[in-house]
Amino acid sequence: MLVRLIVRRLLFLVVVLFGLSVITFSLSHVIPGDPARLMAGPRASASAVQKIREQFGLNDPLPQQYITYVGEVLHFNFGMSFTTRRPVAQDLQRFLPATIELGLYAFVISTLIGIPLGVLSAVKRDQWPDHIARFVSISGLALPVFWLAIMAQFIFFGRLGWLPDGERLPIGVDPPRTITSLYTIDALLTGNFSLFWLALKHLAMPALVLAYGSLAVVTRMVRGGMLEVLNQDYIRTARAKGITQRGVVLGHALKNALLPTVTSIGLQIGLLLSGAFLVEIVFSWPGIGRYAVDAIQRLDYNATMATTLLIALIFVLLNLLVDILYLFLDPRISYT
Amino acid sequence: MSAETTATTQAPTTTAPPGGEPRVPPGGALAAAGRLPQQNQLRRNLQRFLIGNKLNLVGVIIVVMFFILSIFGQAIAPYDPYAQDITGSKLLPPSTAHLMGTDELGRDVFSRVLTGTQISLQVAVVVLSFAVTFGTLVGSVSGYFGGIVDELLMRFTDMFLAFPALILAIAIAASLGRELKWTMVALSTVFWPWYARLVRAQILSIRERDFVTAGESIGLSGPRLLFRHILPNVISVVIIQLTLDIGYAILATSSLSFIGLGAQPPSPEWGTMMSTARNYFREAWWYISFPGIALTLTVFAFNVLGDGLQDALDPRSSHR
Repeated sequence: MLVRLIVRRLLFLVVVLFGLSVITFSLSHVIPGDPARLMAGPRASASAVQKIREQFGLNDPLPQQYITYVGEVLHFNFGMSFTTRRPVAQDLQRFLPATIELGLYAFVISTLIGIPLGVLSAVKRDQWPDHIARFVSISGLALPVFWLAIMAQFIFFGRLGWLPDGERLPIGVDPPRTITSLYTIDALLTGNFSLFWLALKHLAMPALVLAYGSLAVVTRMVRGGMLEVLNQDYIRTARAKGITQRGVVLGHALKNALLPTVTSIGLQIGLLLSGAFLVEIVFSWPGIGRYAVDAIQRLDYNATMATTLLIALIFVLLNLLVDILYLFLDPRISYT
Repeated sequence: MSAETTATTQAPTTTAPPGGEPRVPPGGALAAAGRLPQQNQLRRNLQRFLIGNKLNLVGVIIVVMFFILSIFGQAIAPYDPYAQDITGSKLLPPSTAHLMGTDELGRDVFSRVLTGTQISLQVAVVVLSFAVTFGTLVGSVSGYFGGIVDELLMRFTDMFLAFPALILAIAIAASLGRELKWTMVALSTVFWPWYARLVRAQILSIRERDFVTAGESIGLSGPRLLFRHILPNVISVVIIQLTLDIGYAILATSSLSFIGLGAQPPSPEWGTMMSTARNYFREAWWYISFPGIALTLTVFAFNVLGDGLQDALDPRSSHR
């Protein structure tokens, strides 16, 4: 049954990626704008442009161009980036770890704060912890993440000078030896604690800002789940048996309340990925979000399409993982 | 279109003449019977909604202000939002002459924020009109007719949902071009599938209710049953979603404009303003702050309102 679920979802993933590639490919090739001209630069001669056009098969009919493109993509060849003048695949490899590190920290922060806050909010319903939690969950979804990022930068870098304003490390500081490509972890693994502290300080602001939106989602889900569970008969029974409030909440209610929260992880991943696009620009964070936005602004189609496809892949795969995890956590659920 | 054809094959016995008014009373009565208790409860809930909850009231006030400003904002604006004055009034801090200060070209930030309201509302209206219409159509056809139609339409819908919405919008807008109209197209593409899903789920449950069976048994045609009797019962759920989405559509527009898609300078769209203001945030905090506050308040108000409406209109909701 599990295998069937996985196979079905992977097939669906193929369809999604196919659809998405068709959409972005045809849109970017139908609209006015000449990629050959862009690649050659504004001052290139007509013959140079023509040569590029032939070299990259831009004279072929569109369906054929698409098939060529897909064939290349299947070999992890996404073409050259006009912006960095490197193969896009190489760029992605280089920028992805920064986004993963940022997203991972944001995820951990939002979970570590969100779950206790949600529980507290449900238990102390309509008292001040609840008001704080509701403020967080509503403002987290209403605050534009890029604005929050700039404001944080203004306060913690501009006014207070506590944290650096961007990048993964200060200019001139060499990153740790590459093991996982996540600077904080690599620094720890190589025993370089001052570098770890430096990398952590650079991570702090972007990760906190990025975490805020998904913190809102977690808090809201946990609060809702908790409120529902606390009203159930078995909780009343537990209370009647004389179990303390603490025992009821942590021992009996929390586990069941957290189950639906697992499903919100998918939503969180979406928020974190799209948030990364905006946060990375503000903090000059060298991840794929900033890479994609740079590519978009310079009409670098190869890079734009590759990043979108990659993010789709990550998103769908992570969501599949979440569903499988849920299956193990809750034996009552079966995906048929 | 496909609704029409499939419908007639499903209910071929319908003899109602085009515009056959005599058949309205039984159908109307049926629909009313399906809705009446809900409406009474709705009125009670709405009273509690506005008077009982202060946060909801704040939401309503901000939303009403937003609508008023988006219509009259440009008229109220003390200055021309595009008028530059680079000689004497570049990056002036807030004062009585310029309530929110001025920007790098000496334009009045207050006037620009006010004018920006209109752009935001325009985008939200265009995007969501399309999303609601198309999504409702797909969702209701899918839910009502079921079978292969449902399967095909829903797999198509799922394709759009299998993706973080903002990034899909960015991809589409980036492929189409950097103009506000393309942003609207991109956002419409992103928003409609949610309505298709929502409406389909509602219709699946409603079509099992007695008044639908009764309607079928007296020979009402498929489209008539669907559009006159079933769909009205879906409206409240769509309105809740719509309220939340107005905020999110405005937020998404600004996010896209911020990264250089969507509205372009000198447009006073909030995201566009902030994109430029970012370069001056150290010397001119007001320039980036006020468009951001306006955007946050707007999204916040629609969120609160949507949440509150959900509590009030949907008795099963566990939000409170």
